[in-house]
Amino acid sequence: MMNICRLSVLSKFAKFGDPLVCNLRNAGKCTTPLHHRRTFKTHSRNLAYAKDLFLGQLNKDEVFPYPQIGNEELEEIKQLVAPVERFFSEEVDSAKIDQEGKIPPETMKGLKELGLFGIMVPEEYGGLGLSNTMYARLAEIISLDGSIAVTLAAHQAIGLKGILIAGNEAQKQKYLPKLASGEHVAAFCLTEPGSGSDVASMTTRATLSEDGKHYLLNGSKIWISNGGLADVMTVFAKTEVVVDGVKKEKITAFIVERAFGGITSGKAEDKLGIRGSNTCEVSFDNVPVPVENVIGEVGGGFKIAMNILNSGRFSMGSSASGMIKKLIELSSEYAATRKQFTKSLSEFGMIQEKFAGMALNAFVMESMAYLTAGMMDRPGIPDCSLEAAMVKVFSSEGGWICVSEALQVLGGLGYTKNYPYERYLRDCRILPIFEGTNEILRMYIALTGMQHAGKVLTGRIKELKRGNIGLALGMVGKKIKTSLRSSVDLGLTGKDGVVHPSLTESAKKLEENVQYFGSTVEGLLYRYGKTIVEEQLVLKKVADVMIHLYAMTAVLSRTSRSISIGLRNHDHEVLLTNTFCSEAFFKNNFWLTQLQKHAPENNDANIKKIAKEVLEKRAYICSHPLERTF
Amino acid sequence: MTRIRFLLQLQGLGQVGLSRFAAQHGALLQSAFCLQPNLIKNAQRQVIKHFHGSLVCAKRNSVPSAQPLNEDKKSNDSALIHADLFDHVSGTFKTKATFNKAIDVFIKSDVRRRGHVEFIYAALKKMPEFGVERDLAVYNKLLDVFPKGVFVPRNFIQRMFNHYPRQQECGVQILEQMENYGIMPNLETKVLLVQIFGEKGHPVRKYQRIMYWFPKFKELNPWPIPKDLPTDPVDLARFSLARIADDLDAQVTVYQVPHTDVTEKGEHVTLPHIVGIQSPNQIELLAKHNPDRPVFIEGPFPLWLRKTCVHYYILRADPTPADEKEECPYDPESCLAYPLALDLDLDRDMGDDETFDVEICNEGPVFAMCMTGQGDEATLNQWISGLQQKNPILGQVPVLFLLEGRTTELKISSDKESDSQNSQHEDHQTQDRRSKVEANR
Repeated sequence: MMNICRLSVLSKFAKFGDPLVCNLRNAGKCTTPLHHRRTFKTHSRNLAYAKDLFLGQLNKDEVFPYPQIGNEELEEIKQLVAPVERFFSEEVDSAKIDQEGKIPPETMKGLKELGLFGIMVPEEYGGLGLSNTMYARLAEIISLDGSIAVTLAAHQAIGLKGILIAGNEAQKQKYLPKLASGEHVAAFCLTEPGSGSDVASMTTRATLSEDGKHYLLNGSKIWISNGGLADVMTVFAKTEVVVDGVKKEKITAFIVERAFGGITSGKAEDKLGIRGSNTCEVSFDNVPVPVENVIGEVGGGFKIAMNILNSGRFSMGSSASGMIKKLIELSSEYAATRKQFTKSLSEFGMIQEKFAGMALNAFVMESMAYLTAGMMDRPGIPDCSLEAAMVKVFSSEGGWICVSEALQVLGGLGYTKNYPYERYLRDCRILPIFEGTNEILRMYIALTGMQHAGKVLTGRIKELKRGNIGLALGMVGKKIKTSLRSSVDLGLTGKDGVVHPSLTESAKKLEENVQYFGSTVEGLLYRYGKTIVEEQLVLKKVADVMIHLYAMTAVLSRTSRSISIGLRNHDHEVLLTNTFCSEAFFKNNFWLTQLQKHAPENNDANIKKIAKEVLEKRAYICSHPLERTF
Repeated sequence: MTRIRFLLQLQGLGQVGLSRFAAQHGALLQSAFCLQPNLIKNAQRQVIKHFHGSLVCAKRNSVPSAQPLNEDKKSNDSALIHADLFDHVSGTFKTKATFNKAIDVFIKSDVRRRGHVEFIYAALKKMPEFGVERDLAVYNKLLDVFPKGVFVPRNFIQRMFNHYPRQQECGVQILEQMENYGIMPNLETKVLLVQIFGEKGHPVRKYQRIMYWFPKFKELNPWPIPKDLPTDPVDLARFSLARIADDLDAQVTVYQVPHTDVTEKGEHVTLPHIVGIQSPNQIELLAKHNPDRPVFIEGPFPLWLRKTCVHYYILRADPTPADEKEECPYDPESCLAYPLALDLDLDRDMGDDETFDVEICNEGPVFAMCMTGQGDEATLNQWISGLQQKNPILGQVPVLFLLEGRTTELKISSDKESDSQNSQHEDHQTQDRRSKVEANR
């Protein structure tokens, strides 16, 4: 009975709650006309999975059933994967690439022949024209060599993506065929010495020439992957734009060919990992760029840059899982054969734990990556930037831990250059850094969700603050109801359930977490309002909970499907799912408890104070224990 | 006074009934002393301190220039005699060696060490004169003058009452002077004190208290000043400026090294040092300064480093008037990765607003600071022209001088920068205050 009541309340809220709240907000806004709005995302879908989690809602239709590809595509990918796999296992000498800091030309040639330079370029432009899902599948294999993976990613995930998503037909005709074939290599030039994500401090400028046919590009960009090889670059520069009669500096994206002249590449950086990839500084000195080479509109570069970056991240999940799967194979063989105390390593609990951890991580990453890729492949222009960011954060951090654990299994041997582990470890250290550092992505995840939840909840919170007793009582009532009810029901299980019954327990955990998360977010908005932007430690926890909620969803969805269609070893998947869900459940509960007001678990104030004292002196300030004798 | 001696002797013999009598008389005597004009004069600076379990009030000066408790003309005389001994032994050379020699002379002169309390008081007084007031070894040597074992109480009754109060008081006085000069006793001191006064004597207690508090206070100051300040004015300025600025990014620039030039006419011209400090933030602030508004050079402001006073000048501007302040509106296209501001109509809840209600005083920016040996406009102009290299805007901004005449006090201290000179010329009171402050550091 109660459940039905609650459901009807929920549906009512979903249907009528929004307009009501909007009205309230608009009423408030009348006093401040022309409120500046940040259009951070496009509302292409009515439903958004990740964002609505912030409201404590679980839009199961978005993520259940687990996306799958058609039979034709399946055949195609199978045909593609085999030769790529063979190429990587037989012809790519990763150790040599790492040592020499260069991908040999014959390897590059092989990659080009396989069509790996134009995986996502439509077939009419000479590419393979594959979907995001298939791209993710190939990325799994490509990631076996970090240098090649980064070179290819810089080429097509960001380098030529601008032309692909925002270029006009002429630009596509002109550039894409050569880029897809690998005849030309692309690069993406955004970062500057004084400006990473902070675009406002960009100094590279493009000024229109007197005849109005060219832009003259001046400035320099750093850390450009493929900067030394690229023939075609997507360059972002500030241009003068007149908006409403006021001159403004706005960012514009340009296609710049090396052949235009005036481009110099610096010395390749000597890096910790991905040593075979080319990273260097690129300087532009009065480079004449024809006006036809502006991507999109003049002054519209910000959105393009954002879209390119947001769309390229999802594949990191499958890359990392591909790497871990390979490492599991390598290190498990060692663990099985190495004997200590008349037992093989694989019989020791602590070694077993490492393998279980690796399998769990690989499984979760894989699930998240293909769920997100599947969502992106839906018709329309779905906005999955939030989901993609979550995949990236989770897999880059999980990847680092797993590689380190795999190395640990081998002990000292893993530390030597005789084995590939140290190379993997160095290579994968870049994952949490590039394509948006994990810190920045966590902010993105949390703030995007907060913005979404805030829009819906502002009216209600304001009423509450104004002292609306009815609303307050309603909330108290709701809280009592949830505390009395043994479990939360958001519709994952039961009559209209989408989760396989054997995963009921895990699904319940997800539901409970989602509900708790929703109420916590509301509490945070109530407490901090828009100043939550300053509360990075709070946002970090919010993002972490969010990532784990999404991960739980992904594994539940995937395993439900696996059981239903009877995939081999699906009982192992059930095991992994249940293990991960209960682990994530505890973690989430802990973080959410920390987020409550005055939580004794929360050390944030102390952490900030420690950091402040250390940073003030820019040193570790404790006296040395041997400094003085009493 | 002879009566007191007699009483004390009685007490020393451990006669309980009589010692009470003595204590009463002690109190009486105490009040009698208070009436003496020479003590009333100092009464304000004196702290009355009680020993536990003792009715005899100890009265002492809180200053290094210690005065004995049971002071009368006779002992004053003997103290004078001992002071003469110091002068006699040292002659014109007042050093540690001669001080030690004087002590040795005293020790050897009489096996019974008669009058050692008076001698120690006299020695304590003489210490600054010999420049040994910060020498732990000398204090230990002075403690060594006490005969060992004589004053150690032998039973609980002696322990209960103030055994040999004069001697104990004298021992405390030595520690007191060490404390005032910030000298920490060492193990040798403790051994001596235990040998002289026993495990539970007042001096040993005092020692324990010192050892409890001193290490805690010693390094309490997060911005310690080295004991020996640099003597080179440029180094001193460098140190002081870095200390005031408290910004790790700030850069010290020496605009002019002090030197003497000979002009064509053969006159000697001494050029003062000019040392300035400026941080990147200040450069940025100055670059944004409205060139129509003047900047001011203000000073000299004093900065005390232990007993040294140095002066500095600042380059500042008036606070920007409210109508000139530019507010940069939030640009949604300023951060690629995440929104820097949320588009929400919700403010922080009052319960979570942990900031204090602070009345913000609108102060103008300080752009740079400098120290120079000569605070006239010509010299400071040189500083400004030096600053122009990094702050080209200074070429367009009018610079006004707001230089105050130095006050007398400042003049005195700036003229004599070294410690020793200071202590010699300044009256006792100021010195006392300073040394207190120093001890607290």
